[in-house]
Amino acid sequence: MAHLLIMPRQGNTVESCIIVRWKAAEGQSVQSDQTVCEVETDKASFDVPAGASGFLLKILRPEGDDVPVLEPIAVIGERGEDWQAALGGAAPAAPSATATAASAGPAPARVAPAASATPPQAPVAAGVSAVSPRARKLAAAEGVDAPNLAGSGPGGRVIERDVTAALAGRPPLTAAAKAAVLAGAPAPAFGTALGGRAGLADLGSKAPSAPAETGNVFTETPLKGVRKLISERMRASLAGTAQLTFNGSAAAARLQALRARFKASDPALGLSEVTIGDLVLYAVSRVLPRFPNANATLENGALRVYERVHLALAVDTPRGLMVPVIRDADLLSLRQISAQAKRLAAACQAGNINPDELSGGTFTVSNLGAFGIESFTPVLYAPQVAILGVDAIMPRAASGPGGTVVLEQRIGLSITVDHQVIDGAPAARLLKAFADAIADIDLLLMA
Amino acid sequence: MAAYDVIIIGGGPGGYVAAERLGARKKKVLLIEKEALGGTCLNVGCIPTKTLLNSAKHYVHALEGEKYGIKTTGTSFDWAAMQAWKGEVVEKLRAGIAATEKRLGVEVLAAEARLLGIGKVEARDSRGAATVHEAPAIIVATGSTPAMPPIPGTKDNSRVVDSTGLLELKEVPKRLCVIGGGVIGVEFAGLFAALGSQVEVVEMMDEIVPFMDKEQAPVLRRAMKGVAFRLGCKVERLEGATVRYKAKDGDAAAEADLVLMAVGRRPVLEGWGAKEAGLDMTPRGLVVDERMRTNLPGVWAVGDVTGKSLLAHSAYRMADVAVADILAGGGASRRADRMRYDAVPWAVYGITEAAGVGMTEQEALAKGIGILKASLPLRVSGRFCAENGFASQGAVKVLADRGSGRLLGVHVVGAYASEMIWGAAALIEQELRIADAREVIFPHPTVCEAIRDALFELEHE
Repeated sequence: MAHLLIMPRQGNTVESCIIVRWKAAEGQSVQSDQTVCEVETDKASFDVPAGASGFLLKILRPEGDDVPVLEPIAVIGERGEDWQAALGGAAPAAPSATATAASAGPAPARVAPAASATPPQAPVAAGVSAVSPRARKLAAAEGVDAPNLAGSGPGGRVIERDVTAALAGRPPLTAAAKAAVLAGAPAPAFGTALGGRAGLADLGSKAPSAPAETGNVFTETPLKGVRKLISERMRASLAGTAQLTFNGSAAAARLQALRARFKASDPALGLSEVTIGDLVLYAVSRVLPRFPNANATLENGALRVYERVHLALAVDTPRGLMVPVIRDADLLSLRQISAQAKRLAAACQAGNINPDELSGGTFTVSNLGAFGIESFTPVLYAPQVAILGVDAIMPRAASGPGGTVVLEQRIGLSITVDHQVIDGAPAARLLKAFADAIADIDLLLMA
Repeated sequence: MAAYDVIIIGGGPGGYVAAERLGARKKKVLLIEKEALGGTCLNVGCIPTKTLLNSAKHYVHALEGEKYGIKTTGTSFDWAAMQAWKGEVVEKLRAGIAATEKRLGVEVLAAEARLLGIGKVEARDSRGAATVHEAPAIIVATGSTPAMPPIPGTKDNSRVVDSTGLLELKEVPKRLCVIGGGVIGVEFAGLFAALGSQVEVVEMMDEIVPFMDKEQAPVLRRAMKGVAFRLGCKVERLEGATVRYKAKDGDAAAEADLVLMAVGRRPVLEGWGAKEAGLDMTPRGLVVDERMRTNLPGVWAVGDVTGKSLLAHSAYRMADVAVADILAGGGASRRADRMRYDAVPWAVYGITEAAGVGMTEQEALAKGIGILKASLPLRVSGRFCAENGFASQGAVKVLADRGSGRLLGVHVVGAYASEMIWGAAALIEQELRIADAREVIFPHPTVCEAIRDALFELEHE
């Protein structure tokens, strides 16, 4: 019995994926766990396994197609089997809920998240980007130099939306200029002809010239991809929440001592790579369950308090801020948390993070300590209701024995809460609990 | 705080249009004009000449009417009545401008303006009383005046007039010698020839109207039957109304009753403080950029004073560009208008008209552009034949880029040329290719259909 291979769902925010490449041809024999195609979202690319062994009877959606999740993309079955039967009569070009329903068998369940099964994909070399087939087609029709666009796809891959954005940022062309661009002339970035159109004189023109008043040259680039996403989320966060930040600090002596011992420890213990940041993550994962209202999300006027701590981690990447999630952090050991944090950060840096791992966070930690930041106001990763900013460890004055003043190494902590659901005093209690846990991190680890 | 948003120096086509545009946008505008609103164009240029020419056309049509079945006897013209009609037209149009400025809230000041520097203009009225006005933006539109070359015998010669003087004639000269075969010279030559004057045009270049296509200028000359053209002749001196010139084959003279000096116009760069204020200029005009900005911040210049394109419609467009820049706050708005000179149409008026836009064949060749060209006589147009007979002069010429097929130029000699050329300007301004332009539907029966026919004559897929 033939079964439908469907476009797997990749996290809650992903509505569709672009088929980048079919790795198996029609008529080819495939194994259940064999990758048959590569798909991409705006955040990442991943491989889709066949999900069933047999023959790839029919590819329903060609390379370059943007396919809504859970829609069929191919039929796998016995040799000579009628692939149309699997579709239940639905036309392949207009797959729908009926087609999905017809496949309501094992297929969706068998589609495993790709990241765990395949090695990370190497990012494309800077400068000239890879271009998805759909993007290439549109670019050819409109005379856009796709390989030189800043791709918002994985590894800088240029996908259709990049070409669309390039077109939106380009002035309309006169008939002659359009013909010239299609014939290979450099596309204009702005136009001086009729009504702001770009004419032949504008071919190859650069983006807006300098304002005469200041003589200051600038370039203008529309936000796209990850940057656009961050822009929207941050603005939505500040506009839709009542943010309030508290700053405090914790004694860092034991943190530093522990870190020094880990570093010097036998690698066989698996602790030598554990950082101060990992220790703070561990402390947070253990304190949060005592403050359930902070391990929560607020959406549409309803507060969701979570049982498990899905600890989100702000990661600085070349493409901008990404926030991967360590799931069930409250159940993981220090070594596991450390390993997860490293794996996720690396995947974000490489641009091949599984979108599933970018969603579902219940609380976020943003660590800027390495930059010497003494305090800051972290912005909530809405709909989460709290975020902890970790600052640098600095020597600070403290009262010593006999009324003397001594210097003490302290780590700064900045917590932002959504005052809609967390008042000042509970926020202060939470910050104090974090500080106490960090100050006595060695005891916490033994608890 | 400045009392005005914008002060405009000069009430000609550049100045009064800028004032209207700004007034319509509720800007507080002061328009300073020392003579009459409308400038050269309305008072001593486009409009009075076209009014007189219209009378001449009626006269010629009456004389030639028999061919079309219309018989008249005792046909004559009344120069004084023609002048009176001209005066009425000019006066009414002038009042129209004044009314428009008033309606749009523009303050018009009859005074001589002087630019004192950035943001400051002095206005001196006829009694010599001066006031200083301030505005963050100033538009200079001082126009141009007829050029008087230092030809021996010109100075204090009552038989020599410029175009302004010729318009005020009390009677039509029996013999007129026109020095200069440019637009102005050719138009007046045509006007007076139509009224029966014996007209000679002495032109230093080998062809009349320098910006006309060299294949078209002869068509216009042939159409002007009553005018003798002396081409390639350099005027040496004037003796009364006798013009002595050096022709290719030796010295010669044109005996006339009146001499029109029509060797061109020069921008008005003096007498209003341009140099003192520090405006950049060349002898050909104020230096402006593509947004009509001068080198002084807050000072724009439009029209003839820029020396860029001495045409009223160029001044209109320049005014729009300057106004757009001013309204944009002087910032570098990406959409801000820019002045483009590649598709400025021109027209020469007469019993037979000429008009063109874009490149001539000679300009294209000089630039090394490979061209496709097609010329057709206007006899391809049924309307042209019906109204002008089969022997009338008239031609259309279309040029396109050989490689891209883009239209480069359209040139027309013949009736209605001035009225149809804007359409060609639109085709060229949009950079349409031959195939694109062929898709445009032209009305029938018209003379402008000849342009469409010429487009299909081009050897292009």
